[in-house]
Amino acid sequence: MSTIEKYESVIGLEIHAQLLTVSKMFCRCPNRFGSLPNTQICPICTAQPGALPVINKKAVELGVRAAIALNCQTHLESIFARKNYYYPDLPKGYQITQYEQPFCTKGEVFVRFKNGDEKRIGITRIHFEEDAGKSNHESYGTLVNLNRSGVPLIEIVSEPDMRTAHEAGQYLRTIRGILRYADICDGNMEEGNFRCDANISVRLKGTEKFGTRVELKNINSFRFVEKAIEYEVQRQVLAVEDGEKIIQQTRSWNSAKNITEVMREKENAHDYRYFPEPDLPSLVISVEWLDKIRAEMPELPKQAAERFKKSFELSDYDAAVLTSSKEMAQYFEKVVAESKNGKSSANWVMNELLGRLNAVGKEIESSPVTAGQLSELIVKIDSGQISGKIAKTVFEEMFATGKDASSIITEKGFVQISDPAALENAIRKVIESHPSQTAEYRAGKIKLLGFFVGQVMKETQGQANPALLNELVKKLLDQ
Amino acid sequence: MLNREEVLKIAKLARLTLTEEEIGFYQKQLTRVLGHIQDLNQVPTGTTAFVQHIPSDAEPFRKDDAEPFPSPLDLMKNAPSVENNSFLLPTIVEHS
Amino acid sequence: MEFGIQTIKELLSGYQKKQFKPSEVIGAYLTNISERDEKINSFLQVRIEESLGRAKRLDEKMCEAETLPLFGIPIAIKDNFLVSGWQATAGSKILSGYVSPYTATSVERLEAMGAIVIGKVNCDEFAMGSSNENSAFGNVRNPWDLERVPGGSSGGSAAAVAAGFASVSLGTDTGGSIRQPASLCGLVGLKPSYGRVSRYGVISYASSLDQVGPFSRTVWDSARVLEVMAGFDDRDATSSKRSVPKYTEELKNISEKKFTLGVSRKWLEGVDPDVAKSFEAGLEMFKKAGGKIIEIDLPHARYALSTYYLLATSEASSNLARYDGVHYGYRTQSATTSEELYSRSRGEGFGREVKLRIMLGTYALSAGYYDAFYLKANQVRKKIQEDFEKAFTQCDFVVAPTSPSTAFKLGEKTDDPLKMYLSDIFTLPVNLAGLPGLSIPCGLDSKNLPIGFQLIGKPFGESVLFEAAQQFEALRGEFPLPGFLEGACRR
Repeated sequence: MSTIEKYESVIGLEIHAQLLTVSKMFCRCPNRFGSLPNTQICPICTAQPGALPVINKKAVELGVRAAIALNCQTHLESIFARKNYYYPDLPKGYQITQYEQPFCTKGEVFVRFKNGDEKRIGITRIHFEEDAGKSNHESYGTLVNLNRSGVPLIEIVSEPDMRTAHEAGQYLRTIRGILRYADICDGNMEEGNFRCDANISVRLKGTEKFGTRVELKNINSFRFVEKAIEYEVQRQVLAVEDGEKIIQQTRSWNSAKNITEVMREKENAHDYRYFPEPDLPSLVISVEWLDKIRAEMPELPKQAAERFKKSFELSDYDAAVLTSSKEMAQYFEKVVAESKNGKSSANWVMNELLGRLNAVGKEIESSPVTAGQLSELIVKIDSGQISGKIAKTVFEEMFATGKDASSIITEKGFVQISDPAALENAIRKVIESHPSQTAEYRAGKIKLLGFFVGQVMKETQGQANPALLNELVKKLLDQ
Repeated sequence: MLNREEVLKIAKLARLTLTEEEIGFYQKQLTRVLGHIQDLNQVPTGTTAFVQHIPSDAEPFRKDDAEPFPSPLDLMKNAPSVENNSFLLPTIVEHS
Repeated sequence: MEFGIQTIKELLSGYQKKQFKPSEVIGAYLTNISERDEKINSFLQVRIEESLGRAKRLDEKMCEAETLPLFGIPIAIKDNFLVSGWQATAGSKILSGYVSPYTATSVERLEAMGAIVIGKVNCDEFAMGSSNENSAFGNVRNPWDLERVPGGSSGGSAAAVAAGFASVSLGTDTGGSIRQPASLCGLVGLKPSYGRVSRYGVISYASSLDQVGPFSRTVWDSARVLEVMAGFDDRDATSSKRSVPKYTEELKNISEKKFTLGVSRKWLEGVDPDVAKSFEAGLEMFKKAGGKIIEIDLPHARYALSTYYLLATSEASSNLARYDGVHYGYRTQSATTSEELYSRSRGEGFGREVKLRIMLGTYALSAGYYDAFYLKANQVRKKIQEDFEKAFTQCDFVVAPTSPSTAFKLGEKTDDPLKMYLSDIFTLPVNLAGLPGLSIPCGLDSKNLPIGFQLIGKPFGESVLFEAAQQFEALRGEFPLPGFLEGACRR
């Protein structure tokens, strides 16, 4: 057993997700940013004297939607609190958040892995808060842009249930998928609309006691999540092996150097002086409102997968892959709506399209083959216009050029030969040039049928309609 | 009596630079006021509920409609220092 | 001088009868200020041209005097309200030069109904104080005795009306900051129920206690200002949606109701003898109208001071965190790190009392002390609230002197914050319980200084509070004017 295998890591994630509202959390500034700094600001989100917060109802609705999607308990009464600290992009000197009584606790999510395994990850709590602005550190000082100040967020805190970086990555993808599915958050990590901090500790396998926890911040891309966590786990294991003590601290992922670095030690931890926000009443969610939000819930990935399984007779795995993102599911649904062939659509999307996309590192949103184009191809196969084999060649061409199947087929003369007279001519030619095989067949060696079919295919450059060909070969040999 | 270090610790948390004279003054005054408020310990409160000071018919919610503030530039006019339409701090921010 | 001591009612009546025009009135008040405020120091800004311009526009629309409830009324605003384009300092160096980018809801509503804001008046820094001696812009003097304080924190608002510089004024009351200066300056001062008037655009001191209210010469004027500015504001999540009665309609006739007043003698121990005597005389007046005085118990009122100072300072420590030299306001000249920039800007920009309260509040909220201080104070606050609820099952009002003493000498209490805090012992519990409280002049002490009588009502019971106060006002008769006005103004 290698050193690292003697240990297991204990990982919990804190996810910050910006909510897809029209306006900010506590003011009416648009929740979108122009390119110019400090253009989406008002007295409230810049903390002018005398300005007061009022809660965006839609933000609460989206938070509750997340609570329902993540199987959480929604509390009918919760309170906003002030978290007091100084930072240039926090204009009030406090962040309005929820502390002792969040609106949501105790949920769970099931994370699926490639091998078909599923793992339950507990959700400790979800709470509302407002985003801070952005600070840009230049050589001559710090520039503060408050366009983002006051954007509504939910923070989703998981239980320390993950044991590998991969699990953490899959958990993060699952949460992102759910939030995107339910139109709660756009999940854009590069833009900072979906962010995550990880709490990481290591312990010897088989031990119960948690190791000292390190908080890892600044993991701002999906590409880094697993890498950053893996690095940190390895760092901790090596430190423990060297007899060092893990220090409780906050570290930051440096994506240029591919390492984690100390941000601050525990003794410098903030004293946030939380107390209930006196400018806001407690957050009351009525039973009626909760019911309404539940009734209006958009379909979630799990529900979509169930539906796909039933309607299109797909396997668990296929259904899960096809619902792994909203775009994927939408793409598949479009293909199937026109091709009317679930199984075949699933195969084409999963095997051919995703394979190609992976190879070129593209997401389904930017697929060069549109859902309409792919369904056209499937229709052509199903109607016997082209063979499956030729279809693959056509698809390669479609993927490379973005052209429609029909134009490629015409250009390359890929049309399937379905004219019995034309095929019969070709078959007769083959029978004539292979007298011994013909004799053997007629003497009862009927498995030679395939040989004749293959020869005719060769003769027609693969364009023969296979079903018709089979039928005609048999007919002529039996004459 | 609060000692000097305690006063400085509070001042640091509150982000207040104090002069020597002020440290002495606040040491004395904070000690006095904190002494006075000890009288609250005489009140048995047990499980007394938290005060909800806001009238029950207040409206905490607003509709999610955006209405841009007409003059965001006015908000920058009060800034002590502006660069590139951003609030400028002539200092490097340390991770605190 | 023609004008200075007119009430809203008198000015409206004159406008309606076309005896004078807004520009004449506003002009006269502005002259009063420019000639005589030097002695009082109540105004921090006077907007001469802007208010004359507004007045002239009203001159053209005299018929609106019939419909606009505050047509052409000169009003002074405490400097912790924001008025778009005007400076707002809250009496602090840290906000010197700050220009408001928007207008407070309360001010917006007064202006929409014809009021003319003639200027911003002095106050204790961030409304923290009971004498107006904590202003970064100098003391305000009491028009009744220029050697004495006008009270605080809305000292400028009180002094300005008492000195004949404005017909009415706005202040804020967190622990007595309207009622106490009203008492010390011989005016009617109202702190409405918490949630009655929008706090949007009013610089926060302690969010759960702050409330906006008027200073006036009469109860009717107080009712008029309140009915215009009260009511739900969708920009303040703490404002009540309860409808606003037409208070002045309700005051058409002097009430003949027989009110039951609750007095807690235990609470009133230690009051100045002159104040006690005048208070007793006030009680007698209510009795004369058929009222009844009963003894009530407010067992937790004595803890109001500690409760208040923990809660108010805790909230203040957070509310004042935004003044850090980054986005607006004072910034230190010497800072190499951002931490230094915050600490020095705040250390240099805030005054002594504000820093004391910020530190106290920071301490009360800090790790390990929250339960013992903030949470405990909140629970005691609930007890105080319950005391009043119980009292109101037996009486219509709880009454007390507004302040344990009359106006004290400038500098008399500045070295001793705790002694200063004691000025507010009869007003603090009212804010803690969120109740409406009104101070009305009831007499003069041996030094010819005014004494205030405080009526404390049930939540949102402003109507009946005005009714009782007007009954008292009628029985009391005309209240004398301060010496400062002798020969200066005539009706």
